[in-house]
Amino acid sequence: MLEIKNLHARIADGGAEILKGITLTVPKGEVHAIMGPNGSGKSTLAYVLAGRKDYEITDGDILWNGESIVEMSPDERAAAGVFLAFQYPMEIPGVMTMTFLRTSVNATRKKRGQAELTTPEFMKVARAAAAKLGVKDDMLKRALNVGFSGGEKKRMEVLQMALLEPTLCVLDETDSGLDIDAIRIVSEGANALRGPDKAFLVITHYQRLLNYITPDKVHVLAHGRIQKTGGKELALELEKSGYAAFTGKAA
Amino acid sequence: MTVLITKTAAETALLADFKARGAELPGAGAVAVARDAAMSVFERQGLPHRRIETWKYTDLRNVLTQFAPIATRDDAPVSLADVNAALGPLASLDADRVVFVNGSYRPELSTAKPHTPIATLGASFRAGKGAETPTLGADEAVVALNTALATDGATVEIKANTKLDKPVLVVHLAAGASAKFTSLRHNFSAGVGATGTIIEVYAATAGAAHTQSNTVLSLNASAGASLTHILVTHPGAATTHLQTIAANLGREATLKSFQFTADTQLVRNQTFVRFDGEHAKLDISGIMLGRGREHIDTTLVIDHAVPGCESRELFKTVLDDSARAVFQGKVIVRPDAQKTDGKQMANALMLSEACEFDSKPELEIYADDVVCGHGATVAEIDPAQMFYLRSRGIPEDQSRAMLIESFAADALEKIDNDAIRDALGQLATNWFNARRSQAATPSRDASHIPG
Repeated sequence: MLEIKNLHARIADGGAEILKGITLTVPKGEVHAIMGPNGSGKSTLAYVLAGRKDYEITDGDILWNGESIVEMSPDERAAAGVFLAFQYPMEIPGVMTMTFLRTSVNATRKKRGQAELTTPEFMKVARAAAAKLGVKDDMLKRALNVGFSGGEKKRMEVLQMALLEPTLCVLDETDSGLDIDAIRIVSEGANALRGPDKAFLVITHYQRLLNYITPDKVHVLAHGRIQKTGGKELALELEKSGYAAFTGKAA
Repeated sequence: MTVLITKTAAETALLADFKARGAELPGAGAVAVARDAAMSVFERQGLPHRRIETWKYTDLRNVLTQFAPIATRDDAPVSLADVNAALGPLASLDADRVVFVNGSYRPELSTAKPHTPIATLGASFRAGKGAETPTLGADEAVVALNTALATDGATVEIKANTKLDKPVLVVHLAAGASAKFTSLRHNFSAGVGATGTIIEVYAATAGAAHTQSNTVLSLNASAGASLTHILVTHPGAATTHLQTIAANLGREATLKSFQFTADTQLVRNQTFVRFDGEHAKLDISGIMLGRGREHIDTTLVIDHAVPGCESRELFKTVLDDSARAVFQGKVIVRPDAQKTDGKQMANALMLSEACEFDSKPELEIYADDVVCGHGATVAEIDPAQMFYLRSRGIPEDQSRAMLIESFAADALEKIDNDAIRDALGQLATNWFNARRSQAATPSRDASHIPG
């Protein structure tokens, strides 16, 4: 279970406060969506969950399975099961995708006390997972995300999510920049990972993605706080009425 | 105008050493005369210093405060195992070896087969031949010094329209507890239409004293030849290495040169290239890795003397601690050299706040129909890339090593031969890993590289 308690965070070194007291609980097995206008703090929340140092937590706590993760480094959080699918995955020239994936998976397995996979073992697992997501062999041989299309990058994110076997999946605007077919493929990939031991936090601007990944709950984030929580029908309402009702409200 | 400069203690001692022991150097007759003449030139010029424009960032006169005794004949006990250990990842290369220890050819450590067209210069010297100095860079004091003091060297001549079936590995090892100042003179050439790869390595055996070396290399690619030259300087000791390369390219010749430098206290690699025939191609690239208080200077002078030639330069520098690197890239395009195509790129990655990179591109273009470009970048490790890798479970030090490797990767990619590329990749990885193990205790820079 993910428990975010009265979370306040600002840009590091005394910058502006962006998260102003978020309280949110996502039980295992559930998918929660976070929707909100530009600048509401959605991506900041995603980064803070993954441990990006550009933000500092000034108050509150984040518990994953009952343990605070706020003091953990990003790699420790990954080992603890946290996975962030990036809105803008980084391009890393000179690092072959397959090498990166193997390094990532084995570093995580090592920290989890699992045996590292040999190269042939890993290749087999990676190729099978890649095939399911329509990630071509050729992509695995190229430098990580370099020259990948928007859709290919997002598929690569979902492939990493599949291989790292996380238990808390945070999807940051995974639908941005994708056409309908790509959204469907990426969503199917994410849905395939849903399970009773996994919690999902799906961050999106639009209701569209939620047609493919059905949420148990929808939270509206504006001005750094959860303004409203509802069922999946809330997303449809927002699609009609927009965020005006929330953006007008002072924080 | 000649400015008279008081000789430094190092220069004075070297001149005295030459006077006392010069006769021990191989060669009589013309060779001995050439040595004396060259030493007189050096005596007048002295060591290059910062007031000489091309030596501005490497003030040898100031930095070289002491010369080790001149190397003459040397028979330091060195075994094949010592050679392999010093070569590290390069030891497994399938190559014909020519091995020198402290400036002297060591046939028992060399594996060059009779079919390999290799001669050693020491023998020529003793026959009174081989003292000719290359024209390019001839006015350099370090070249005069080499002419005066060269003890030996490899002459690798790939005959016209032949192909070397495996690379030739020319190794120089510093060995033994007493410091030496060694001077080698190599000549590598590819005849008309010939193809081959020559690897030149400077290394040291474990426990070798602080050595100084000063090499002059002539590279010659005749018409239609394809010559690959790999220079590896990684003595792994507090060592000074000076190298002057004079390269000439004939019509439609291709010269690929890769320079790898790490673990050397003070390095000056200066390469002079002249296009003598049209439609020739030069691809010169390299990796400079510096840490501690190391100083690495790569200086290139590319002379497009004739039309229609192409030059590519790509140098990647990674600096840590208080290390300093210099990249000077001069490209001259003569008035007749129309349709010249030149590109130069120098990138540096700075891992600490105390390191320094001096980059000086210099384009002198006298022709009007040319394409010439240059670029230089200096960057730190990208915190966003660090965060991305760490969010995938890769620990901080490993993420950083991956990004350093990724930075150097496109220069390494310039090496066509898989085995050589892998070996140099391994050398680079060893360097990054040494940094990681140092950083196992909280590193001084962990605080200012976010991620």
